[in-house]
Amino acid sequence: MELVYRLIVLLLLLAVLQALYEEKDLSKQANAALVIIPLVLRVLMIK
Amino acid sequence: MKSNRITAAALLAISLFCAITAAKEFRDMWKEEPIARGPGVAEVRKLSDYFPKLKGTIGDTDIFVLNGSKPGGSILVLAGTHANEPAGLVAAVLLIENAKLESGRMFVVPRANRSALTHNDPQEGSPQRFTIKTPWGARWFRYGSRATNPVVQWPDPDVYIHASSGQRLSGNETRNLNRSYPGRPDGNFTEQVAFGITELIRQEKIDLTIDLHESSPEYPVINAVVAHERAMPLASEVIISLQLEGIPFSLEPSPRNLSGLSHRELGDYTDTLAVLMETANPSQGRLRGKTDESLVLTGIDHSYEQAVKLGRLFVSFDETGHPLEQRVGRHLAGVLEFARAFSKIYQDKPIIISNVPGYDELQKNGIGRYLLPVKQ
Repeated sequence: MELVYRLIVLLLLLAVLQALYEEKDLSKQANAALVIIPLVLRVLMIK
Repeated sequence: MKSNRITAAALLAISLFCAITAAKEFRDMWKEEPIARGPGVAEVRKLSDYFPKLKGTIGDTDIFVLNGSKPGGSILVLAGTHANEPAGLVAAVLLIENAKLESGRMFVVPRANRSALTHNDPQEGSPQRFTIKTPWGARWFRYGSRATNPVVQWPDPDVYIHASSGQRLSGNETRNLNRSYPGRPDGNFTEQVAFGITELIRQEKIDLTIDLHESSPEYPVINAVVAHERAMPLASEVIISLQLEGIPFSLEPSPRNLSGLSHRELGDYTDTLAVLMETANPSQGRLRGKTDESLVLTGIDHSYEQAVKLGRLFVSFDETGHPLEQRVGRHLAGVLEFARAFSKIYQDKPIIISNVPGYDELQKNGIGRYLLPVKQ
């Protein structure tokens, strides 16, 4: 069950990474960069 | 196109730096504070010895066993049920590192909810650790959360339904060990830890269980003993003795309609006499000001000095605050007095504890004087 959850979070993380690289607006890129931090921590089940 | 890839790479590098820095901080919380084996400790067991399903999990906590040279009754001291109530943990460590048993047996669980010490509550600004100075150096202790780490047990339900009573509570209480008793072997993580503690009490035929807690100064049950109805005669005697020693406690009956708490369920589901003790901890209150290590140690808070003038508190509060020495001293005085009163009432099962610092000694000499050297 936890593995499924982590896979979902990983997919979301990849989607945010894609948005970070495709986005042209700097403020939206910064938003994506902020969202990446908790997602990385959650994929690794650290927080 | 090229410029946004460069900014993306730069922002990603900053994100990863922040994530790695934060990860290191969070992982540090998983490192356990060292506890020395005192002269009275005969062995250190694990909770999984009583409930094997916990083996290898963060719920498999240490149980320090102190055996008397003569037979007698048995006492269990639970601390760290709520890891943001540090006086219990420190009192338990002082018992482990100092106490000797002349009669009976004492079981001390300093980290009842071991998972709760691996994180602290978001948006509370709580310190992750606090340090106590000793004559030979410093000893550190973690300041954790009221509840199990969500990394271990998640998600919370919208409504937490206590299994054996059907009582409905807010969803986050599903990770509160002191709402999970008597626990279930096939329940969630917190219920399994609660079940392990219940099994420890059943299998060791524990006569007296004392659960050490703290409460915020604006909470009505403070500087109090909460007792199951079977423990009331014993607790009444303890309260009178403590009053005579100049350590006032109030006595509260365990509510019959509030389920999941140690003083209710351990009293109902086992033969133990179950009580819970509360001291005044400003660092967990809602009206507190700056929250840091100093507040945990000194209990001095100017916001609470104002709040008491407005009649908002259930405990006295002045510029001297409620230092850790006072709170730990109250817990230790309570444990000793419970053992003394139990031995008086149940003369065939004495529990005689010695070599524990008294309340006045602790105020005079400080906590560090009674902590043993450990490998850091």
